[in-house]
Formats: sequence, structure tokens, C-alpha cells
Amino acid sequence: MEEIQYIGEHLLPGEIGQFAIVVTFVASLLSGIAYFFATQRREQAEANGWLRIGRWAFLTHGAAIFSVIGIIFYLMLSQYFEYQYVQAHVSEELPTKYIFSAFWEGQEGSFMLWMFWHVVLGVILLLRAGKWEAPTLAVRSVIQLFIASMLLGIYIGFGEDPTRIGSNPLMLLREVVDAPIFASADYLSQIKGTGLNPLLQNYWNTIHPPTLFLGFASTAIPFAYAIAGLWTGDHKGWLKPALSWGLFSGFILGTGILMGGAWAYEALSFGGYWAWDPVENMSLVPWLILLGGIHTNLIANSTGHSIRSTYVYYLLTFIFIVYSTFLTRSGVLGDTSVHAFTEMGLEAQLIAFIAFFLLLSIVLLAIRNKSIPAPEKEEATASKEFWMFIGTLVLLFSALIITASTSLPVYNKIREIFDPTFAGQVITDPVPHYNKYQIWIAVFIGLLSGTAQYLRYRENNFAKHARKFGVHIALSVVISGLLTYLTSLWIDIKSWQYAVLLFFGIFTVVTNIDYLVSFTKGNLKMAGSAFSHIGFGIMIVGILASGLNKRVISNNPFVMNGLIDGASNEQMSRNVLLFKGTPLIMDNYEVTYMSDTVDTFTRTFTVNYKRKNQQGDLVEEFNLHPNILYDKSFTKVAASNPSTKRYLERDVFTHIASLPQVEIDMEYRRQREDSLNYRLHAAYVGETITFLDTVDLSDQDTFVLKQYQAQLVSINRNPSHPDYEPEEGDIAVGGRIKLQRMEDDSIFVVDPVLVLRGQLLYSYPSQINEISSKVRLAEGIFDAVFGPELDMEYESFTLKQGEQFSFKGHQIQFGGFNRSPSHPNYTPQEGDIAVSAMLSVQSPDGNVGIAQPVYIIRGSRPLNLKDELPEMGLHFRFSGIDPSSETVEVMIAKSDAASQKIPFEIATDSLRSDYIVLEAIEFPGINLFWLGSVLMMIGLLFSMIVKIRQKRALA
Amino acid sequence: MKKIYIVAIVMVAVAIGLLTTAAEDMSTYATFEEAIQNGKRVKIAGQLAKDKEMYYNPEEDPNYFSFYIRDTEGEERKVVLLSEKPQDFELSEQIVLTGEMKDDEFIATDMLMKCPSKYKDEEVYIKSEAE
Repeated sequence: MEEIQYIGEHLLPGEIGQFAIVVTFVASLLSGIAYFFATQRREQAEANGWLRIGRWAFLTHGAAIFSVIGIIFYLMLSQYFEYQYVQAHVSEELPTKYIFSAFWEGQEGSFMLWMFWHVVLGVILLLRAGKWEAPTLAVRSVIQLFIASMLLGIYIGFGEDPTRIGSNPLMLLREVVDAPIFASADYLSQIKGTGLNPLLQNYWNTIHPPTLFLGFASTAIPFAYAIAGLWTGDHKGWLKPALSWGLFSGFILGTGILMGGAWAYEALSFGGYWAWDPVENMSLVPWLILLGGIHTNLIANSTGHSIRSTYVYYLLTFIFIVYSTFLTRSGVLGDTSVHAFTEMGLEAQLIAFIAFFLLLSIVLLAIRNKSIPAPEKEEATASKEFWMFIGTLVLLFSALIITASTSLPVYNKIREIFDPTFAGQVITDPVPHYNKYQIWIAVFIGLLSGTAQYLRYRENNFAKHARKFGVHIALSVVISGLLTYLTSLWIDIKSWQYAVLLFFGIFTVVTNIDYLVSFTKGNLKMAGSAFSHIGFGIMIVGILASGLNKRVISNNPFVMNGLIDGASNEQMSRNVLLFKGTPLIMDNYEVTYMSDTVDTFTRTFTVNYKRKNQQGDLVEEFNLHPNILYDKSFTKVAASNPSTKRYLERDVFTHIASLPQVEIDMEYRRQREDSLNYRLHAAYVGETITFLDTVDLSDQDTFVLKQYQAQLVSINRNPSHPDYEPEEGDIAVGGRIKLQRMEDDSIFVVDPVLVLRGQLLYSYPSQINEISSKVRLAEGIFDAVFGPELDMEYESFTLKQGEQFSFKGHQIQFGGFNRSPSHPNYTPQEGDIAVSAMLSVQSPDGNVGIAQPVYIIRGSRPLNLKDELPEMGLHFRFSGIDPSSETVEVMIAKSDAASQKIPFEIATDSLRSDYIVLEAIEFPGINLFWLGSVLMMIGLLFSMIVKIRQKRALA
Repeated sequence: MKKIYIVAIVMVAVAIGLLTTAAEDMSTYATFEEAIQNGKRVKIAGQLAKDKEMYYNPEEDPNYFSFYIRDTEGEERKVVLLSEKPQDFELSEQIVLTGEMKDDEFIATDMLMKCPSKYKDEEVYIKSEAE
């Protein structure tokens, strides 16, 4: 086949990028090998030689990955759609501010983000880790090697079905997709970008993924130190630097997870911040284990106990990060998760990634197990380290049971390999399942983090402190009990399990505050842990308040009850229908859908909330502005963004659950408009007609006949309509029509408009939602209104100013000139000379009116624009001026206004479209959740800073 | 024996205990037939019967959306989802519903849809003539 010379492709950046990807891979391999020997070789000179090679290789690796990222950004910003990754994630319409989101929307981009952070953190290690540089960077290089392999996109093997290694982000579209379009050389001019998923077009998606991936990348540092410790046999030296990094990692990873929750709550319509989705779970699990590691690391630093556990925790943390990567990216989660990636053929590589580091960890631990030091003497039962250690076991336990449940699809897959008929197990209702176990975890954490604070490391004389300990504990229990009671007045606790949890949540807050005040005595070194634990306790209270007492306020009281056992009312009626301008009482609020505005693809609604007290006085009032984002073709809603009113003690969350179909899909709206059952009517101006029409009854194949009355009130030659934007040369006619359904009292007045623009007819119908009717003018109206003009007989008059005369019984006076005339069909132009004649008219039956026909000289051409008094049937033209005799020539004609019937059409099957389907939820105490979790992170950050300072002070 | 080990053993025992209770929360994907027989709350996986009626009229009830799905055995039944009609519903390939049978209908409170992912989308977007 002849090779096609494609037009307009930019191949050079891609080629450079491809080369850089290979460099990334090779350099990380080289760096790994060099750092390996730099660690292994005892001889100083040789080790230093390897170290230098390792450094350069690592930096080359870093430069290469930065280049790849830079090139992809360049391609994305330039919108070079010949590249598959660009085509899949960018579109012409995508605002530049979402370019980062588009970059990490795909698997490849997020892998690169992850590698980016590994490089950044790796360079910090390279500069600061000292003797730990070689072993830790050897580990990081190997990690990078595995991730880089995901980007290679090369084929290995022969024959029909070679194995592909990795998925390359710089592939050309025509290399990936086989489509007929690529037969044409200028295919580029015909394709456009798919663009970023509208749900991700949100600032959260700009900040959440980089934070989370920095968290992921940071867990590799304590891991690398742990491997380095086992490798070199220096079981104590690594503990101090690992702790600072562990705290950093805990802070960043935790913040990343929290941002995910905040995003879900604030910007997505999930109606909550945590849903026990597998993807959420698997980012939480490594964090929990990491927290365990931080605690045993503290024990190890203070007492020498728990070094082995610290190894295990830090190793597990990273292995679970990789496992989480496997779960979310291999497609194994399938239909159990809302937001997992689908498979991309990376399963084998991901499994190899986990297997390598798992085996490495196990082998190293096994080899070094004997040499890991531990104090002879067992921890005392009343010592801090004992109970802290128990606490870490609880964390690990929590992590493992979450993992066990989340891994159910993996277990199913394995079973299916051996037994193809095996029917996969699935958790019926995940949220209660996870909550059921995690409640008790949280209770224990509350209990342990409360009491252990009062204990001391290496306690060997507890009896001396027992009294003081007892007093503080007893006092705390009493205060916590009291506070629990007070809290239960505010929120409904529902069951004794939750009461226990609430008590221990408060208990840890009380004890840690007490500890901060009575024990640390202003010594801020220990404050970090107290902050974190206070935060944890507050968070628990916040979760209980906002989770247990989350109240759907958009309850429809008319919904059928008892339709399903076990389903609460909330589940059954989360949505409520709101008609525009009609207030609805929802819970304590009076809610009204006020208005909506469209700005390109976004439609923003204004929903008004009013709360009244028992006397009916307005207590508070606020507006919420949820919006929806249409897709590019205006045929569906791509995203629905909630809006939340925040109070100190509660949030009111609102989102648009649905809209009338005609408001969602503009294509459907056109079809619907075409399929409306319009009936043609005709009436003289002022005449009232009655007619019958059928109205469908839903759910039954029957209909009823209803009687309608319509009156054509007037014809307007200068009409306006909300959707009509006048253009020069338009011929527009409007008609005012009154419509009434006979058994209803209300009379509706509408002003449909019909416009003739060139050869095309534009109809602007009017909808009457209350009686599901739509009114439009029929084409014949032009003949009826303008037709008589052709056979109208004008009579000419030459008039002086002030002259009065009579025309077919009408008394007419030429009052004078208007030198700045306005006329619906007149747009002034430079150089125009325009003047109108003011003619006041009195009809035989005593009505009066003023007509102002216009006379214009444009260039050297005279023009005139007619005016008319339709009620009298009079038409006026101003046809000439004679300056010498100071007279004007006016032509007047009389038509029989009622000579022609005006045609219009009415459809009575136009469903109403002025409503929204709204979901509204009240979250009490949700700010306690945010406050508590942020405090937890601040505690971690604070402890990290303290550790780094201590290290500096020692150095 | 070290106290820590005792604690660890207790925890393992508790874990085993918990795992046995966890079995209650698990189920296999049911078919309509099984859902009728056991009358319990189950999960059903199936495919949307695109030729059958989908009904959502918010004016009548904004929390009532009905459609038909075909379960893994090929049986087609009416499903009522007590919620709004989700976006892109017609595009869904696989639907997982949580709920129970009530008379002839499967009443679902929870639904998860798998739509053809854009990452796998092998469709090239062609600029339309109108632009």
C-alpha cells in the first residue's frame, strides 16, 4: 500500500518525547544498578564512583521525565489532535485552566504525575540523605523503573499476539485507532478533541490529584529507608529520618484523601464526603498503616522497642499503595466502584510491581529477622509504648478488614480461574457493612489515644503515678459523659453503639486537651500528637452528627409509603418537584425555584430558601445557585453541580437531580415541538372563539375533551419576544391572544411572534405551562396583515402645517414635523435626513390616535416608512416635501380591519417545562468533621516540623 | 508468653469471628428468579432492555423511574428505581441494582451503571458540517 503523506502533523515533539520515555526507563535502570553497587561496595573509592554514576543517572532520569511531561503539556496546549492522548483529553472548548486536569485525567498522565513527585522527593534525598542516599535512591530507582515501564508501549514477543509493555502517551491517534478517516491525508482538519469529562472540570481536580500523588510518592521514602535499614543492617540509624518523612507522608496523603472527600461533597452530587467506595478505601488503607508505622517509629525512637513492627508497617504502607494502584487501574473492581479506571492491559505489569516489592520485603525481613535489635525486657503493661503498640495493631486491623472486603472482586477473580462456574460474591450494602466494623475500631482508637497520653515511656514505677493517672482518667470520664449527654440533645444518636462511639470520640478530645494543659505545660514539642488526637475525636463527633443526622429535606410527603420494606422514607423520596415561582414547604423551609440563566454551557438556577418561625415571621432567607453543565451538543446534562449554604452548625446542600426532558435535550425539544398537535384557528381582531380539544390522561389509554376559549386581542407590528432578537430587514408580526380553559378561572395572555427573515420563517411560540398549552401564529398572518396593502387605494393630500381635513369620516390634523423620528423599521444611518409628519386623528366614534409616517432622504434617494392605526384601519405614508410651498404630501388609505381573519395555532399537549427536580440535604455538624480532620493533619505537620528542628539542633 | 502476643491472638480470634459475621453482608449477584424465591434484598446485574419502555415523569413522581432489564439468565423484568432517571442511562452496558422484588416488579433503591469508558472509546469525533 502506498504510504500516505499526512498533512499538518507535528511529529517532531512526539519523536523527542518517545526518546525521552526510553531514556526515563534506561536511566532509572542504570541509576538503580549504580546505587546498588554504591551501597554494596565496601571500598570507599569504588563506592564513590558508583555513587556518582547513580546520581547522574537519577538526574538524567528526572530530566527525561520532566521533558516528557513538558512535551505532553506543549502538545496539549497546542491542541495537536494527531496525538491520541491529546485528542482524548483536550478539546477546542476546554479552558486553559483545566489543562492540568486534562493531563492527569488519563492513566498515563497520572503515572507521570506520580513519577514527577518521586523525582522531586528523590532529589531532596539525593541532596540531604547523606549516607542513606545510595540505598534509598536505589530503591526509588527501581520503583521508577516499574512505573516507567507502564509508559513504554513497546511490543515484546513474536507472531500474532505480541505482548505489549505499558501504554505510551505519545502514540499518534492513527496508530491507535483504525478508522477510515485516516485514509485521507488531511484527516487532521476533520477531527476534534474529545475533551475533559465535564465532571472533572473543577478546581478540585486541579489540586486533589497532585496532592494525593505526592502522598503516594512520599510513602515510598519511609519504605526506602526501611529497605535500606534491612539491607545495610543499620537497624537504628534509619529510624530518625524515616519518622520525619513518615509524618510528612501522613500529612500529605491524609490531606489528599480529605481533598477527595471535600471534592465529592462540594462539587459532585454524591451527597456526602465518604461512600466506602473501593477507590476511596484503598487510599485510606495505606494511610492507616502508615499511621501505625509513625506510632511504632515513635516507640522505637524513645524505647528501642517495636523496630521490627516499624519495618513491617512502613513496608506494608508502600506495598498497599501499589496494591491500591493495581485495584484501581487493572479494571478488576469492575462494577463495584464508581470511579475506577477500566483495564488497559497493565494487569500483569502491576502484579509484577507488587510481587517484586512484596517478595523483596519478605526476603529481607526473613534474612535480617534475627539481627533486628529489641530490648530484653518486655514492655510494662502500664507503659505508653505498650498501649501505643496495641493502638497500632488496631489501625492495622482496621486496614486489613477494609482491604479484605474491598478485595472481594480479586478473590472472585482468583476463584474463577480455578472454577469458572464460581458465582462472584458481592457486598449487598457496602456502607453499613464497613461502618459496622469501623465503629469499633474508632471506639478503641478513642479509648487508647485518650488514656495512653497520660502514660509514660519505659514506665517502671506505675504505682507512683497511679493516683494522678486515676484522677485524670476519672475526671475525663465524667466530663466526657456530661458532654456526650449534651451532644445527644443536639443530635439524634439512634443506637447504643453510636452512643459508645460518641463517648469515646469526646473522651479523646477531653483527655488530650487535659494532657495539653496539665502535662505538656506549654512545651509545644508534644503538642502535635495532642492536636491530632483532638482532631480525631472532633472528627468522630462530626461524622456522627453529619452522617447519622443527615436529613433529606426534599421529602415529598405525597409519595407512596410502604412500597418497599426496609427502605426508609429518605431512600424513597429524595427528590422533589419545584415549579417555577411556586413555593413549596420542605421540612422547615419554604423553597422556591426563582429563575435560571444560561451562560454558554452552564445553566445556573436560583433557588430561594425561607425559614419562618411558628408565628410565621421570616427567620432567615438565602438563595442557592446549583448549576448544570450541558454537553457540547446540548443534548444532555454532563454534570450537575450542587450548591451549599454553610452555617457554623449545619450545611444545606442542594442539587438539580433532573429537568424536564425538553430542557435537557434541545434535539428532543425540537422534535417535541414538531410533534405537537397544533390546531389551526382563525379570528378577527377582537373576536373570541371557543373550541374543544383532547387532553391525554397519563397511565390510561383515554383522554378527556376540554373546552377552550381564545380571543385575538390585537396585532402588533413591532412585537417583542424573549427569544427574538430583531435584525435589519426582518418583517415581524406579533399577536396578543387570551386563552382560557373553560373549567379554570385563570385567563392567560400570550404574545407569540412570527418573523419573516429573507426567505425563512421564524416562529416564536408562547408556552402556557399551567394549562400545558402552546400558542403560535400561522404563516397566513402575513397575508392577513400585509396582504391588503397591495390592493389598498391610497388617496393623496397636500398639506400645510396645522391644516385640518376629513377623510372618510375621520378628522385629521397635520400637527407638524418631528425631526428625530423613531419608527420600528427605521435604523438611522450617517447622512440620513429623516423627518416624520405628526398626524392626529379622531375617528367618527370619538377615538383618537396619532400617526407618524416617516420620510427619509438617504443619499439622494427618498424613502418613506408607513404608519398605521390598526384599530381605525387607517394607513399613512409620508411621500414628499415641497420646500418652496412649505407643504407636505401625505397618502392615506382605509382598509377594513375586520376584512381578514388572522390565523393562529394552539396545541394543548405541550407538557409544562418550568420545573426542576431538586434534591436537598441538611448536614448538621459537618464543620466538626472538617475541623477535626484538618486539625489531625495540622498535628502531623506540626510534629514533622518539631522532628526536623530537633534533628537540625543535634546536627 | 509476651502480653503483646496474647493481644495479637485475641485480635486474630476477633477477626475470624468478624469474618464469619461478614458473610451475612455478602451475596452473589442474583437473578430475578432467585430474588423472587428468597424475597430478600439482593443485588441484580443485568443489561438494559433498550427496546422496552423507560418511564420517568417527574411531574407525576420525581422518585419513580421504571425500565426493563435482562438478567444473566436472560429473563426480562420491570424495574422501578426510586430515584430520578440518571444521565446517560441509555448508554449503560451493564447495570447493577440493589433492591428486592415486590409483586412483579423489582424495586431498587440503588443503582450502579457501567458506561462505555471514554478511555477505551475508539470513536473518532468528526467535526460536523454545520460548524
